[in-house]
Amino acid sequence: MSEISRDEFMAVAAAREFRDGDVAFIGTGLPMVAAYLAKATHAPRVKLVFESGIIDAAPRELASGVGDYRLAYGSPKIAGMSYALSLLQGGRIDIGFLGTAEIDRFGNLNSTVIGPYRQPRVRLPGSGGANDIASMAGRFVVICRLDRRHFVEKLSYLTTPGFLSGPRAREAAALPGSGPSRVITDLAVLGFDPETKMMRVEELYPGVTLEQVHERSGFALGVADDIAEALAPTDRQLHLLRHVIDPDGRYVVAANV
Amino acid sequence: MRSGISKIVPLEAALSAVEDGMSLTAGGFAHSHQPMAMTRALIRRGVRRLTLMGVAECWVAEFLAAAGAVEKAYFSNFMFEGFGRCRRFVEGVETGRIATEDHSHFGMICRLQAAGLGLPFMPLRAMTATDIVEVAGFEDITQKSRFIASPFGNGRVTAVSPLKPDVAIIHAARADAAGNVQLFGATSVIEEQARAASTVIVSVEEIVEADVIPRQPELTILPALLVDAVVHLPFGAHPTGVFGYYEHDAAYLGEYYAASRRQDSTDAFFRRWIHDQADHWSYLDALLVSRLLALRVDPALGTIMTGQRHV
Repeated sequence: MSEISRDEFMAVAAAREFRDGDVAFIGTGLPMVAAYLAKATHAPRVKLVFESGIIDAAPRELASGVGDYRLAYGSPKIAGMSYALSLLQGGRIDIGFLGTAEIDRFGNLNSTVIGPYRQPRVRLPGSGGANDIASMAGRFVVICRLDRRHFVEKLSYLTTPGFLSGPRAREAAALPGSGPSRVITDLAVLGFDPETKMMRVEELYPGVTLEQVHERSGFALGVADDIAEALAPTDRQLHLLRHVIDPDGRYVVAANV
Repeated sequence: MRSGISKIVPLEAALSAVEDGMSLTAGGFAHSHQPMAMTRALIRRGVRRLTLMGVAECWVAEFLAAAGAVEKAYFSNFMFEGFGRCRRFVEGVETGRIATEDHSHFGMICRLQAAGLGLPFMPLRAMTATDIVEVAGFEDITQKSRFIASPFGNGRVTAVSPLKPDVAIIHAARADAAGNVQLFGATSVIEEQARAASTVIVSVEEIVEADVIPRQPELTILPALLVDAVVHLPFGAHPTGVFGYYEHDAAYLGEYYAASRRQDSTDAFFRRWIHDQADHWSYLDALLVSRLLALRVDPALGTIMTGQRHV
């Protein structure tokens, strides 16, 4: 096998977050690839719900988005957005995946604006289902490149709740989900200290140092006591990624660029 | 034909319900079943000062914003899957011409549901404790939502107030003259939007005889009692797609996205594809039949698989 790319490490790390039997709320991109990788390996009984209202599809090829008609193939139930999102509120979704423009130490996310809310410097797309997933899914995973533009001391706008201001804040806000469980980046896999709810480094990809990780975060990251090197993708996982699930490298690029 | 009054009307007549300064909501999401022919007609007519009540109708929002027709937007997410931000819409926000009020998707749907179900508010378990409910846009923040205790003592929820659009514009698969509307594939937020809106205008790919819809009534997304007008507009969602009929036109979307970098190139794009076209039929003529036929899907799969493109 040729050199393993950072994208491939991220896809495999994301796939590992699925437990067999989970019902997962999935968006476009790397989470979609990770979901099908998990289903093809350790978690065949995972069921997928897409924001568009497509339930547990078995597409014959990778869809370009949750609105792609290829995604409808093999689905036993197609409805609308209200149906899909209400499954979150009903407590039916175990895990969701989110991207973000900014993330803070408590795993709160911003996908709304950079700068002031009214007449912002950069207007971003807005919450969409992100706030709903983070509020109501059993747990959620964030996928984000690790750099100071993304990992910030203070968000411009809090779109999506992580642990809010810290321990017990989600409970005070009566949010049903347990919050962020993992942050998967291009250098390391991060998690949260169970007591302080603050972000910490849990796994490093091969060749990455803790110093590099700290250097690229805009806030101080903790370090787990049992920090480890991330497991390398297996030959089978790489084969599935490169030749079966995403053969065109649409979301998971097989070489570092 | 069954007897009864036909709701089928010409496009311009149907859109006379949309007046300057009104609030508008539109069907569709991603690159699917957005009412683009109706949107082009509104732009051609020069509609102004609209308030959008949108969830995911990104192309409608972008086109109306690019035409300078949007003043305010209650919404949850406008972006182009596979492309990026809706550039004319975000420029309108960043320059202060468009005022915004943000929501989560479910929060926006709940506000439309409150209106559609005739309720003074709708409770939900999202948006709580975030800037969505704490930072005011153009709306009085206390009139948007409240964190309330259940009257039954079993928890707290966020309550959102109703949003009732003046008009909903929707594109679907087929309808009969009475106004019963069917759609295949994912249905976006059409049911909630139609129930909430004061007036509902639907364009469709096909008009069918009255005995067709009762054969599969479970496919009916809107019964006639929720529909005010039906317009026959084949390829009326182009450049977005309609499940079971045609794919989105990726090349056209890409051409628009490149043009949308600047207002002047966007204006030139609109001149060619909107203002220089007398109506929807001349728009289709300008696209060419070969282009439209190449978008037609395999009816069994509802899509076109790679390697099965029309050549």
